[in-house]
Amino acid sequence: MDFTFDDEQKALQDAVRELASRHAPAEAHGDVPVGPAQHDPKAWSAIAEMGLLALPFGEDVGGADASTVEVAIAATELGKARVVTAYADALTAAGLIAFGGSDEQRAKLLPDLLDGSSLIVPAFAEPGRAWSLDAYDVTASAADGDVTLTGTKEPVPFADVADKLVVTARVGERTGLFLVEGATVSGMRVRFDDTPAVALGSIDDAARAIQAGVNLGILAVAAEALGAMDAALPMTVEYLKTRKQFGVPLAAFQTLTQRAADMYVSLELARSTVLHAGMALAADPYDATVASRAKVVVGQSGRHVGQEAIQLHGGIGMTAEYAVGHFTARITAIEHTFGDTRWHLAALARDVAGHPQVDVLA
Amino acid sequence: MRLQMSDEDAAFQQRMRDFFTTEIPAELRERWAAGGELEPDDMRAAQRLLNAAGLAVPHWPVEWGGQDWTQLQRHLYLQEIQAASVPPPLAFNANMVGPVIATFGSQEQKERFLPATANLDIWWCQGFSEPNAGSDLASLRTSAVLDGDEWVVNGQKTWTTLGQHADWIFALVRTEPDAPKKQMGISFLVFDVKSPGVSVRPIQLIDGGHEVNEVFFDNVRVPADQLIGERGKGWTIAKFLLGNERVGVAPVASIKRALATAKEHASATRSGAGTLLDEPLIAARFVELETQLSALELTVLRVAANSHGDKPEPASSILKLRGSQLQQDVLEFTADIAGPASLQWSQPDDTDLEAWTALATPTYLNFRKASIYGGSNEVQRSIIASGILGLKG
Ligand SMILES: Cc1cc2nc3c(=O)[nH]c(=O)nc-3n(C[C@H](O)[C@H](O)[C@H](O)COP(=O)(O)OP(=O)(O)OC[C@H]3O[C@@H](n4cnc5c(N)ncnc54)[C@H](O)[C@@H]3O)c2cc1C
Repeated sequence: MDFTFDDEQKALQDAVRELASRHAPAEAHGDVPVGPAQHDPKAWSAIAEMGLLALPFGEDVGGADASTVEVAIAATELGKARVVTAYADALTAAGLIAFGGSDEQRAKLLPDLLDGSSLIVPAFAEPGRAWSLDAYDVTASAADGDVTLTGTKEPVPFADVADKLVVTARVGERTGLFLVEGATVSGMRVRFDDTPAVALGSIDDAARAIQAGVNLGILAVAAEALGAMDAALPMTVEYLKTRKQFGVPLAAFQTLTQRAADMYVSLELARSTVLHAGMALAADPYDATVASRAKVVVGQSGRHVGQEAIQLHGGIGMTAEYAVGHFTARITAIEHTFGDTRWHLAALARDVAGHPQVDVLA
Repeated sequence: MRLQMSDEDAAFQQRMRDFFTTEIPAELRERWAAGGELEPDDMRAAQRLLNAAGLAVPHWPVEWGGQDWTQLQRHLYLQEIQAASVPPPLAFNANMVGPVIATFGSQEQKERFLPATANLDIWWCQGFSEPNAGSDLASLRTSAVLDGDEWVVNGQKTWTTLGQHADWIFALVRTEPDAPKKQMGISFLVFDVKSPGVSVRPIQLIDGGHEVNEVFFDNVRVPADQLIGERGKGWTIAKFLLGNERVGVAPVASIKRALATAKEHASATRSGAGTLLDEPLIAARFVELETQLSALELTVLRVAANSHGDKPEPASSILKLRGSQLQQDVLEFTADIAGPASLQWSQPDDTDLEAWTALATPTYLNFRKASIYGGSNEVQRSIIASGILGLKG
């Protein structure tokens, strides 16, 4: 195993960092937006133009033939600069299409999605329901071909700006993937009422496609959270050096510097796990264990780093004018995206008896 | 040691419960429980109902509306008022400036301020912290200079909670700039925030709300008789006030109620063929938090029974430290239960999501403040280390 970036990867990192700095939220005095990010068309087209959506896909479908490692590198830089977009959502949709769609659907949909000319996002969440890869309350009239969907998905981030949705829906006891254009969208709510839809590939492949698509989404948000931690820690360290109380910098209090050291440990554990997931998903995009472990490590590290970053700043960390709270807010949203820490622990626990020990080199 | 409450105390508890659940409008309590913001008029209405029944300031001296209860009764009162989701009396009035004026004020000041304070006819805000005086409160720089029979106040306070609604401010100001120690030379001054020279600027917090403010003083003239206690002895008053503040911030019953509400939400959130409450990790977290909360409540009862008079015990730091942690843990867990729905912070008309899910993340983020204000958790640990364990840092 080798975690060093090659020259191309370093160049990608620099390019995304530069892009992100141009689209980062402006320094503001007075009120700033809080909560879920609104779609930023400029940032979005810059991301698409740089080919960041295309990174993990093959050239046959308009991809860049790079890999999930590059996705991790790019998403980390976006997270560091607080450029919150539909990146993970669109990648997930692309993954669902790439791993689940027919050849014809792949050829028809992916090139436009990957170059940014059309935005497709996935719709998983159902109101009143916990996170699940399976659909329950949105149902499809049939498993294959032209069908209709009925039910509600919510919240579906970026549904209001998407051209199409990839929707999980129930058919009998199974969950299939469906492409929809004409749903009734208001904000993050998507309603289907005998709405025409097209089955994505065959329902026999849907479970595996969902796993691979979501794995891609998990990698992107985990890397974004890593970036957020990677920015929140240096801000905290800098603050400890400059903020004075009792006539000395806060850094003179060992109880605080030791906690900064613990934050660093959490950050680096998250970094190793995210980069490993990037490599492992490039080798096996269906690997649910790798994705769940990454989500758990990032979830726990993120919670630790996010909460401590605010605490060590004191009151100033609570303000919207200051970036540290926004990083914590974004890390929190990521925790609740694609299954939280407990959801992934429960998933991993189902196989606890199946392996005597953990072996990352196996 | 005795396991059960006496019949008398049980009857007291029932009396409190009956009052809070029948005399305070349910609509007000429901809005407070849902975490929605209350208008200042709602807060006034609630406090006035309590005050009329002698239940707004029971810990004050009897002659100013207090009740001469035992510590256990005080605890039962807090338990029931929180359990019924009654909007509590404004802390700045009931727990901070009221006890200060009752203890350190002149007879004239008591008469002037205490009844109006108990009845929320004056809405007070706390002007302690400054940009460069947070944990190190004694380094505060806002100055007051005597000019004839008026103090002239200049400087800045910050983090002033609900300052936008306040009528009056109680502020720590430096009156003796040449005192040998920074703790000396501080005085406790109260004045009308509508006085010429006072300006208030809101600060937006990470949840989007505006509960705190910066307050600026530019040659604000304050009558000399509005200094509470002895000139230059404000630090003693500040320590007294902060100790009281800490006792008030272990809202065990509120946390219990929040956890019970979270449990209702979990059992109403479907997961697979069952609900979230059927998920082993969710169920385990509930019982873990319930167990931790019961340990805190038992400690509150044990500490309350042992403390005498008005003097706060160093052990009250345990309550602030652990209380804020558990409050934060419960809110974090509530956001986890909201899960994907927590990504939406607003409540548009056309949503199928439950209203509480939109508040889950902002509330979780907002309550990161609980381990920062009222003496941060680091400060509480220092008090325990030096005050109880004899470990001078
Ligand atoms: C939402 C909110 C409402 C508030 N309301 C009011 C109000 O109404 N009125 C008012 O006067 N104030 C109010 N405060 C201010 C509050 O009391 C201060 O934020 C608090 O005293 C901490 O000060 P600070 O923010 O300057 O942090 P700092 O003192 O700069 O502390 C930063 C970090 O360093 C730690 N630290 C500092 N000194 C030490 C030390 N010696 N040893 C170990 N750790 C240390 C702190 O614990 C914290 O983690 C409010 C604050 C908040 C966030």
